[in-house]
Amino acid sequence: MRLNEWQLAFEAFLLEEAMAAPPTLSASLIGGPTLDVDTGLAIYHNAYKARLLEVLRNDFTAIHHWLGDEEFDALAGAYIRQHPSKHYSLRWLGQGFETFIREHLVPEQSAALSELATLEWAFTLAFDAPPGAPLTIEAMAAFSPQEWPVLKVKPMPSLQWLEQRFNSLALWRSVKEATDFPHSETLEVPQVCLIWRSDLLCNYRSLEPAEASALHGLLIEGWNFAELCAELTVIYGEGAPLQAVTWLKQWVHDGMLERLER
Amino acid sequence: MSASVPFLGYGLGLRSAYYQQILEQLPDVDWFEVVSENFMVQGGKALYFLDAIAERYPVVMHGVSLSIGGPHALDAGYLKQLKQLAERVKPAWISDHLCWSRGNAHQLHDLLPLPYTEESLAYIAGRVAQVQDVLQRPLVLENVSSYVRAATDDFTEWEFLQALSHVSGCELLLDVNNVYVSSRNHGFDPWTFIQSLPKEKVRQLHLAGHSDYGEYVIDTHDHPVSDPVWALYQRTLEHFGPVATLLERDDHFPPFAELLDELHKARELGDHVLAGRQQCA
Repeated sequence: MRLNEWQLAFEAFLLEEAMAAPPTLSASLIGGPTLDVDTGLAIYHNAYKARLLEVLRNDFTAIHHWLGDEEFDALAGAYIRQHPSKHYSLRWLGQGFETFIREHLVPEQSAALSELATLEWAFTLAFDAPPGAPLTIEAMAAFSPQEWPVLKVKPMPSLQWLEQRFNSLALWRSVKEATDFPHSETLEVPQVCLIWRSDLLCNYRSLEPAEASALHGLLIEGWNFAELCAELTVIYGEGAPLQAVTWLKQWVHDGMLERLER
Repeated sequence: MSASVPFLGYGLGLRSAYYQQILEQLPDVDWFEVVSENFMVQGGKALYFLDAIAERYPVVMHGVSLSIGGPHALDAGYLKQLKQLAERVKPAWISDHLCWSRGNAHQLHDLLPLPYTEESLAYIAGRVAQVQDVLQRPLVLENVSSYVRAATDDFTEWEFLQALSHVSGCELLLDVNNVYVSSRNHGFDPWTFIQSLPKEKVRQLHLAGHSDYGEYVIDTHDHPVSDPVWALYQRTLEHFGPVATLLERDDHFPPFAELLDELHKARELGDHVLAGRQQCA
């Protein structure tokens, strides 16, 4: 068998769920004094699956906790078979897991689970995103009065914006803090959860709707500070600039914004 | 060992479990080997610690995804990122494995065995040349542990390594544990393997632990180095003289002090053997 054909057969064997090597592959190999070909091939087959499952267990610890070993491995195994790894780094193996859960399971099962997968994946994205150049309180203090109205910001590269309908954050936190795992529940009001990295640590925070709407205006709709104040006037009246500054200081203090240069 | 690269001494594989302790204790480790792919990211903790450690210690880059023997075209994006990382950490050298880890369509994330044939030799030598062109330095390739071998081999593994280094100019990372593991699995004499390698091409040694199941041995890197591997290592140093030695541990991480003790054992053994060699000289 030519090198390329032999590798094709080996690859197909590794990717198959069943550990039955085609006779042509087995016949192309030899074992050792006490290691036969079938056992040798089984070592590779087991290692492939075990390595990939371990990566997914580590990247989706809350889902693993929720489903338990058997159910998680069945779900993750089906994912790996349908989406074999395409990136050289196992860091990206779980990239499509949330979509797979959503498409693979019926909606009653998948909605909360896929939202939790999105949350866990967002932490991995924040973890190794580019560092960015956070706007600081010190830099803001030095702004001239003319700079304030036209101030625009953008998210730090690590900032992940998640809209949640379920108590996914509570589930995730209970696994991280090793407390009792709560039941999955629908939230009374959907909420925005932010995940970002500041210095070297990943942070998370849920936002009340008013704060979420203000930040959304700055980051997604491209408001400058004056426009934010104007929008807030509808609710806060004369207190709008104070509310805008209070939130802005909090977001800047948290290290989630970069200044958008004109 | 080639005279152009200094003897680096005794190093440890850099693993995230020990980042903090390395910076706090600045241990008596001569150098660190980093798994290249772990640092081919855009930011975060791994790069922070890598930069801090590379400021204080010599670093060597060791990849697992080059897939030098794979059936696919070499990944230009991967090589570009590898080169960028090398520009960042300025490694003493860059290594990967003599294996394939990517198939025609998918990444297989394992160090898979190659047939040691004339066809493989020509194919891989050509790819080594491409990699060396990009990296502008010799590629260092490691022998892997294996659990099957091709029935149609034209070469033994050690003959193949010898021929490949001769034809392509690549250098060799001799993993003493992998030689032992494969020798048990395939029934060859590990010393025949080691002593057949060209001295001037052996840039680095690896030491690691394995799991012994009696009828076969698996390269797990989750145990201390075994006695037979220590004995082979001693003989290797007696034969080759000083070669940069790296202790690997990838799972069941012991307390850092235990790992340092194991590295110290390698250093003591090395000092003893090398002092003996000098007396004989």
